[in-house]
Amino acid sequence: MSAVAAKPATGAAMNPTAMGIGVILVLILLGICWFVSPTVGLMALIGVIIGGVLIGFGVHFVPVGGAPAAMGQAPGIATGVAMLAAGGGLAGLFGGAWAAAAGQTPIVVIITGGVGGGLMMAITCMMVNFVYVFGMGIPAASGKVAKDPITGDSQAEYKSQGTEGHGLPFVSFVGGVTGGIFAGAGGTLIYLELLNLYEGALPTLMQLKPEQVLPIAISMAGIFAVGMFLVNAVLTAYNITGTIEGPHDPKFKRWPRAIVASAVASALCGLVAILIVLPLPFT
Amino acid sequence: MSVKVEVIEGGIPHNKIMIAGVVSTLVCLYLTYLNVLTGTEMFSFFGGLAVVTALIWGSHTIKVLCSYGIGTGVPSAGMIAFGSGVIAMLLATRFNLLAPIVALILAAIIGFILGYVSNNILNMKIPAMVQALTEMAVVGALSLMGFAALMTGGFTFAGLTTGTVSVLGQTLMTQQQSFMGGCLIAVAFLLGAIAIQHPFNACLGPGWKQDRMLMLTAECGFLSMLVAAVMSFALITSGSAIISLIIAIIGWGYTYCQYMALSKRDAAAWLDAKPIPEVEGH
Repeated sequence: MSAVAAKPATGAAMNPTAMGIGVILVLILLGICWFVSPTVGLMALIGVIIGGVLIGFGVHFVPVGGAPAAMGQAPGIATGVAMLAAGGGLAGLFGGAWAAAAGQTPIVVIITGGVGGGLMMAITCMMVNFVYVFGMGIPAASGKVAKDPITGDSQAEYKSQGTEGHGLPFVSFVGGVTGGIFAGAGGTLIYLELLNLYEGALPTLMQLKPEQVLPIAISMAGIFAVGMFLVNAVLTAYNITGTIEGPHDPKFKRWPRAIVASAVASALCGLVAILIVLPLPFT
Repeated sequence: MSVKVEVIEGGIPHNKIMIAGVVSTLVCLYLTYLNVLTGTEMFSFFGGLAVVTALIWGSHTIKVLCSYGIGTGVPSAGMIAFGSGVIAMLLATRFNLLAPIVALILAAIIGFILGYVSNNILNMKIPAMVQALTEMAVVGALSLMGFAALMTGGFTFAGLTTGTVSVLGQTLMTQQQSFMGGCLIAVAFLLGAIAIQHPFNACLGPGWKQDRMLMLTAECGFLSMLVAAVMSFALITSGSAIISLIIAIIGWGYTYCQYMALSKRDAAAWLDAKPIPEVEGH
């Protein structure tokens, strides 16, 4: 397809048929899970789907600037969605895993994961603004809105001509921290659900004592959580096609698409992750 | 966003690379099974060669996908490849001898659905999307299996989750010292994910040449194999690990020299800048 024949950026258009197929696909995958493992597996899969949706929704908040931000020509943190989401989400995952290892209750573990992710994004956003303001000498200004939705500060006076804004305005900072909290909590939820499942099922499957399978259960739940996290983050990156300023950006309105996409991806990956502990029909 | 910004001119067609990639990766993976047949661990290095061949195929797939402006950067493609690949690969290891084939089929299913999701639900509308994500999930799964075979000498679930440790001359079974229990899979994950996305990220642009990019992929693959071979000392016998290490070093040295030669060929001009000379007498 040449550049002339290509349609302009599809933008926020929804595809109702595909969304419907997506929802049906999630139900089918849940049905398969119910068929193979009606109790433990289904609960784990529902947890994984909620976690995946939290990641997909949370990544929309993160101010991703990409290459233009590195040159001070667009607001946001100067890297891609996959890197930012991996940084924030994995920091949350480590925090949550640490809380899980300390024997905390699930709700504390998930909140710890969220705090870890939010903290990571807060530090990143603050240091990014330090570099922008004191290193590059540019003020923070949004190009998408006339006034900051939270503080009400006007933006246009600070915006350089020919740019889409620069730096991290307050609303983007808040968005980054919110996104980190959502993504970190989602990643931790996936990890926790899979860890519980593996701790319960692996000893009988491998005919070993529970403490012997613990390293394997932790390692498998961890690598699955990382894998699903990256899949969800990249799908969300595809949804916002690269850059977003934060919750005030018009692209933020595309989140329903990402919710369905994340649900399908998480249901699929989660089902495969659950199948690994079930006895095979033939061996 | 479906504007194709680059075209493939000349070079080997993508389908040929894909078929060659699938066949050679599967053959290399199955050659590690010689370990079981001969009762040694000497053939583990075939796992590393499987990684290199899979990565060469994968980096060309990334080129096909990222030629359309997807707007998210090339590294995201590597991340989704291994993110979906690791899930398929781990389930496949339970199928013992059939593991590589099952990994291929399972990863293709996961990749196909992810491709459908991004193309239709997320409205990407990129013609190459479904096929590219399918291929990349397969590449991710097979390269991780290659890493597993390189480090442990096998690709079965039991082999990846149990290791041996010798205490006071006695050999004991342990789960801690294994590919999964020690979480070496996390290192393998990122070694592969970085090696698959770097070549196109480094070589893209108007001066892109297929042979140069693929040579860089081979170089990155052997570099990853080198690190993995060092890590394999913990899990397989030293002699076998040394064989893998030597092959990785030879492969890396050869591909590095070739890549430098190709870079000089494609450069407009180059200057062999010597290190800063040490001026005597001051």
